[in-house]
Amino acid sequence: MSAAAIVAMACGGSTTTSNQNMASADKQILRVNDATEPNSYDPTQETYSYEYAVGREVFEPLLTPKADLSDVQPAGAASYSVSSDGLTYTFKLRSNAKWSDGKAVTASDWVYGYKHFLNPALAAGYVDPFFDGTIKGADGYAAVDVTSASQIDSFLSGLGLSAPDPNTFVITLQHPAAFFKWVVSLWVAVPIRKDIVEQAAGGSFPSTDTTKPEVWANNPSTIVGNGPFKISEIVSKDHTTLVPNTNYWAGAPHLQQLIEYYIADGNTAFSKYQTGALDIINVPVADVTVVRGDAKLSKEATLFPELTTFWMTFNAHEAPFDNKDVRMAFAKALDRDKLTNDVLHGTDKPIQSFIPKGMAGYDTSDNAQSFDPAAAKALLTKAGVTADQLNKFKLLTRNSSGSKTINQYIINQWNTNLGLNMQLDVIDSKTVTQNIRKGKFDIYGPDGWGADYPDQQDWFDIFTSAACHSLNWGCVNLPGYDDLVKKADTELNQQQRNADYLTAQKMLIDNAVVGFAYQQYEYDLIAPYVHYTWTPFDAEYVPGSLNFSNAYITTH
Amino acid sequence: MAVISGRPARGALLPSRLVSLGNSRTGSLVVFIIRRILWLIPILFFVITITFVLMHLAPGSPWDKNGGRQLSQTVVNNLNARYGLNKPVYQQYGLYLWNVAHFDFGLSYQYQGKTVSALLLEGWKYTATLGTLAFLLIVPVGVSLGVLAALRQNTRIDYITMGFSTFAASFPNFVVGMLMVVAFSVLLYKWTQGSFFLPSADFALDDHLVLPVITLALFPIAYTARLTRASTLETIRQDYIRTAWAKGLPERLVVIKHVLKNSLIPVVTTLGPLFAFLVTGSVIVEQIFNIPGIGRAFVTAVASYDYPMILGTSILFAIVIAIANLVVDVLYVFIDPRVRLT
Amino acid sequence: MAAIPVGALEQSADWEVPEQQIGLWQDAWHRFRRNRLAIVGATVVLLLVVIAITAPLLVHFKLIPDPYTQQVENIEVGPVTAGHLLGTDELGRDTFSRLLYGSRVSLAVGILVQFIILPIGLGIGLAAGYFGGRIDNILMRFTDIWYAFPDLLFVLVVVSVFQQYTFGNVIAQMVMIFGAIALVNWVGLARLVRGQVLSIKEKEFIEAARSSGSPPMKLILKHLLPNSLGPIIVTLTFGIPQAIFLEAVLSFIGFGIQPPTPTWGQMVNSGYESIYANPSSVVFPAIAIGFTLLAFSFIGDGLRDALDPRMRR
Repeated sequence: MSAAAIVAMACGGSTTTSNQNMASADKQILRVNDATEPNSYDPTQETYSYEYAVGREVFEPLLTPKADLSDVQPAGAASYSVSSDGLTYTFKLRSNAKWSDGKAVTASDWVYGYKHFLNPALAAGYVDPFFDGTIKGADGYAAVDVTSASQIDSFLSGLGLSAPDPNTFVITLQHPAAFFKWVVSLWVAVPIRKDIVEQAAGGSFPSTDTTKPEVWANNPSTIVGNGPFKISEIVSKDHTTLVPNTNYWAGAPHLQQLIEYYIADGNTAFSKYQTGALDIINVPVADVTVVRGDAKLSKEATLFPELTTFWMTFNAHEAPFDNKDVRMAFAKALDRDKLTNDVLHGTDKPIQSFIPKGMAGYDTSDNAQSFDPAAAKALLTKAGVTADQLNKFKLLTRNSSGSKTINQYIINQWNTNLGLNMQLDVIDSKTVTQNIRKGKFDIYGPDGWGADYPDQQDWFDIFTSAACHSLNWGCVNLPGYDDLVKKADTELNQQQRNADYLTAQKMLIDNAVVGFAYQQYEYDLIAPYVHYTWTPFDAEYVPGSLNFSNAYITTH
Repeated sequence: MAVISGRPARGALLPSRLVSLGNSRTGSLVVFIIRRILWLIPILFFVITITFVLMHLAPGSPWDKNGGRQLSQTVVNNLNARYGLNKPVYQQYGLYLWNVAHFDFGLSYQYQGKTVSALLLEGWKYTATLGTLAFLLIVPVGVSLGVLAALRQNTRIDYITMGFSTFAASFPNFVVGMLMVVAFSVLLYKWTQGSFFLPSADFALDDHLVLPVITLALFPIAYTARLTRASTLETIRQDYIRTAWAKGLPERLVVIKHVLKNSLIPVVTTLGPLFAFLVTGSVIVEQIFNIPGIGRAFVTAVASYDYPMILGTSILFAIVIAIANLVVDVLYVFIDPRVRLT
Repeated sequence: MAAIPVGALEQSADWEVPEQQIGLWQDAWHRFRRNRLAIVGATVVLLLVVIAITAPLLVHFKLIPDPYTQQVENIEVGPVTAGHLLGTDELGRDTFSRLLYGSRVSLAVGILVQFIILPIGLGIGLAAGYFGGRIDNILMRFTDIWYAFPDLLFVLVVVSVFQQYTFGNVIAQMVMIFGAIALVNWVGLARLVRGQVLSIKEKEFIEAARSSGSPPMKLILKHLLPNSLGPIIVTLTFGIPQAIFLEAVLSFIGFGIQPPTPTWGQMVNSGYESIYANPSSVVFPAIAIGFTLLAFSFIGDGLRDALDPRMRR
């Protein structure tokens, strides 16, 4: 199977340090730069990568991705089975699973955690994958009146979650979903201790309360998790110190301290790395040339692929962007190599297809969107669109330095290669989101998607007509696409699934639903004495974060 | 509030709002302080109202993400309910005023489950440390430079001091800050070891503070020096100083006893505006040096539409400035016996 | 509004109003000319104005590279490399010509903002001083309150709210930013004008006019203008560097005029990101801002000394 082979080649792997000797315990300190502090230490409330960089170390879901991302493997659960109709998932919990305070993890903790997460009053940001036809009863989420405790309670008790015995956690689904194993491996699907939540809140509270159920997450002493690490100290906006959870079922990690710093400024982090105050950092684009020119640093730098693709979106509600030739002309008028090699200093890689390198479904055989200014111009002529018509359109740009730089380059490419004189519209990022939601834009980008989990279902759904105005901002009408994707989503034969998704990707590329631009990579500096295993699924800027429980510092 | 449009340097020491009235000095001082504290209420009301109106004019929602997966409408509705944003704006406004009157500044939108008060408290230690250190630097350094320049008027010391002050008073602090970063952590990297001077993480009362404090204090030092020089020049021309000099008192004694005391008066009047300057300056300096203080939190809050945090920060800054002005005005009464209170 | 550097603390609110004008302007001009620093400042500003006006011509005649032309092969190169006098920026655009173009925005902000401040400050100051009593009280309390609002915070909020209505149009962005800056900077002028009106009102000739039945407003205006022109000009001159400073800070934080239009604050912002790769890309615009502000405050100092009647000996 080609997809699996690519995955095995592309990702996963340990660093091959010449000296594999583990340093003494007092040297087992890993200092990484997570750039931004989590908005919450309650994992069910986390939505960003920089948040679960901490959350995933402290709380462990039932399953976790394998290092090569080919499948999931047991984590919080010892094993799991799926009923023949694909509707009932039975998770056998580990008998030796313990919380960081020493108590045993029971099935009721899992039920409580899932219900805490799915309580509509708490409005967790990442619930969508759970109530979209997966957990039974969760599709009633939207109808719940969050001011009514009885409605919330009956919704929560009606969910397909049960604990027949302390070691068994059962989830019932609405209808079969081959990807559900990935959904339960998300950082939000974790157990939570009811007694601690209520103790921190000062007693029990109605399910409509939105303040009390979050009190525990503000204090390291009440952030009790089932993951390999526990939080020992939070210095707000500065760093969080994690120490081993000595009760972790797989044994305490080697690292005696894992310190996540929140240094937003890349230059400061870079400077701190050079003085030896940090062990893992992301190199800001501007400093890449400095790293490459330095004999020592260039050896410590690594380029990691991320499961993230970026593209330019055209508003198909607006003529002439409803014309596929016009969209294709723009897609073909962008020199991606110059963008990634020169403007981005080789920290990202060009891509003319949808699924990124590193996960199942990556395929580069379709070259329809390749850079070809002459063909692009010909397409515009064929569409009968003049420069004057196009010049009134603007490229909507988020007010962040990265977006501004990239879009200044891209608009310059279009203007040069298509003979246009279009302008940027740079505005506040939240307003950009509001505008694209309302369809108030001409061209928007760079717009992108990062894998929630490495299954194609997570990707192809975003261009369905149901996602128009919610993720499919351009709303290009693709006859047959919805049915094809739906078929692939529920298909149980993996080979057939892959073939269907491949056809769907070809539709996206050939119709220039968007102009694919580049896959995000990460240019990181990692101190040579850090022994770690990375996957393309690690938290952004923190390579190895998925498996820090096995990381260690070698003698140096 | 602060009177910075007056020209204390050339006499005219009486700020317009210190109108003379009462006769019992202590009693009127108490009345004065109470009145000034009550005066805070309309100020805060105004700050809250303006900020509130502006924020609700913005089209974006605090729940919009900067790309990638967006929250579904259901979750957005629930979040609006959770934070009371589903109520009519006038109700939200009334509720906010009511809560503020009870010292409740609400929950941050960005940092779920954290109160604005807790967040402000976290940032306050950085901003206050920075501001206090700068303040402690400004008065002694500024006044000494000014007195020195005045006593050595038209000498090389005078020219150098005033040349420095002129430059420092005109160069914006963010330019100065950045040039220092370039100088110390890039060009002189080998010598300074770069991050030594750049704070951000492990922020502590050590060398990390050197550049930010200098950046913040440079303009006020320069200004204070210019002001002190002018007032000292005026003082030493007074008859009684000439007499003291003529009597042959040692120069240092004359300086300390008379000159300093008199030339400090105009400096005191500027301490209020100085505080306001330090507050705004902290926004810039924290941005340049990545200090997790309140100024930086404010910029983040504006970008993420964290309404309660924006409001809370504006209120805190307004209070700090108002209290600083009050303290200065009271100090002023003690220093300058000519001033009487309403 | 509190807390703006650059001469802000030395505005002249309480100048005495002289009763005669003879030769005032000529006198002032003589004194200004004798002030060497002021002349240096004026020369620098004049040079900047010439640059700002002629920059497009220089590009047209290929004397300097086009500030919008990207050369991605030469990104962030240092000074005097690949035909770029001061190096290039993050998209390989020529720093020197961007610097020249940047002066356009800075000068426009500095000077045009004063034209918005003038009517607001004049109007409120006149009304307060002329009507006195309760109106004066209300207006002055209003300015006091306005003053307590930290200015940078206010401008930030205003700009972030209204940025979307500019639709990427540079002129619209400028108007919005001018407005926001003006909104926080009129207080000084209003106080000055009020003080002037109050002191004119105390003069005997006003009393005489009032008793003879002629409307005092006309007289006040007639006397206010010539007598207060000096201090108003000085206040506005000091306002120029304040406005330039605020715009640069806004751009530095990322809320100012948006690309591709080059501004100095923006150049400092993007240059700051590449201080290790190319430190000169932050140094040049930073110095440009610094010396422009210095030049304007020299002019301000010179004007103040020249126009202050008490300096006439």
